[in-house]
Amino acid sequence: MAYTPQYYPGSTSVGINRRKHMSGNLEKLRDIPEADVTAIMGHRAPGADYSSTHPPLKEMGEPDCPVRQLVTPTAGAAAGDRVRYSQWTDSMYFAPAIPYWRSYWGAINCKGCDPGTLSGRQIIEARERDIEAYTKAQYDSEMTDVALCSMRGCTVHGHSLRLEENGMQFDMLARTEFGADGNVYATKDQVGIPLDKKINLGKPMTEAEAKKRTTIFRADGIPMCGKVGARKYDEAVEALHHMWELRSKWGFRPE
Amino acid sequence: MVTESDTESIQVEIIPNRYLMPATAQKLLNAIYENGGLIRIMIQGPNLPRNVPYGPGRGAPIEENRDLLIEVAGDAFELCVKVGRIRLELESEKYFNGLKAACERALPFPVHLKRGKFFHTKQTLSDYAKFGEAEDKRILGLIDPKAKRNRLALLSEEKVTVNDEER
Repeated sequence: MAYTPQYYPGSTSVGINRRKHMSGNLEKLRDIPEADVTAIMGHRAPGADYSSTHPPLKEMGEPDCPVRQLVTPTAGAAAGDRVRYSQWTDSMYFAPAIPYWRSYWGAINCKGCDPGTLSGRQIIEARERDIEAYTKAQYDSEMTDVALCSMRGCTVHGHSLRLEENGMQFDMLARTEFGADGNVYATKDQVGIPLDKKINLGKPMTEAEAKKRTTIFRADGIPMCGKVGARKYDEAVEALHHMWELRSKWGFRPE
Repeated sequence: MVTESDTESIQVEIIPNRYLMPATAQKLLNAIYENGGLIRIMIQGPNLPRNVPYGPGRGAPIEENRDLLIEVAGDAFELCVKVGRIRLELESEKYFNGLKAACERALPFPVHLKRGKFFHTKQTLSDYAKFGEAEDKRILGLIDPKAKRNRLALLSEEKVTVNDEER
């Protein structure tokens, strides 16, 4: 029987969503063209050449190394691309992803990437053509709600702030705007430089939809302990207590 | 039993559930002003820079944050922040219910009103460095001590002071 990894405990909707994010079995909600994702990332103009840090691996003449023979390089590594980044800010008001789960998703599902988790933002670094593919996957999947999540290379402020009147996450640099037609448009790249054209990112999730897809435990949404008033805590808390206990006991070593 | 005097001024903090767009902020501030009994008022929220402050796009203009003019009680001033919190002092208790009604009337979403003490009464060293000896004590607590630029709009029956000069 094939082994199926077990990613996260719990039977709450948040626990289920967390498992989905980690396993990579995500629903695709939208399809943003590759050129538009590249434009929003802002590292290179769509259609331009990739800048490189070394010649393609085939031309370099690699040393005889069993690990190199075993591991197939990613497309970006094989071509010698520069390492680039994409950074996300997710609102704590029921955004589908949170920094830790973007990192888990990256570390488990994306080859050759370096995820970095911070309190209110999450960055992934990888070779340029790889990071473009990973960013598109994040944009298109249910990890992202275009109103509550946005790509922000700098001035990332917004995760823990109240939402704007139209339900958008606050952005000091106004990189996205809520159109009159109900769609969200990207008007600037991730560092705040205006784009040549507005990019339609599609409609945002409704509040109920965001609460359904979120990976955030909240007292006013799904609490970590599970159903309020239930006789038994959700498995997520039990597993957490178990880990905490083992860690504490392992650390405590009386001679 | 000590009963609170209803002739003393009270301080109120208004926290809307969402950040206000300039038009809504104008509507709310006008409603508060029309309610009367206002001694002083301060609006607060995250800064709205005119240019990208840092990063590769540093210096690029942010048109969305420019010319956010609002008109309150006949006086126009430019918003420098996204309005997220309003602190004010009322002449007496009797204006409080009217204020509550004004907030509910002006905003389409819930709002929290807190009673407490929000403006300091003794002049601090930072206050002294900002504007010297304060002749009008109402100014205390209205200026962000960390701000490089003073952003003050004092609205009262007597005068309107808008001080936006570099110090």
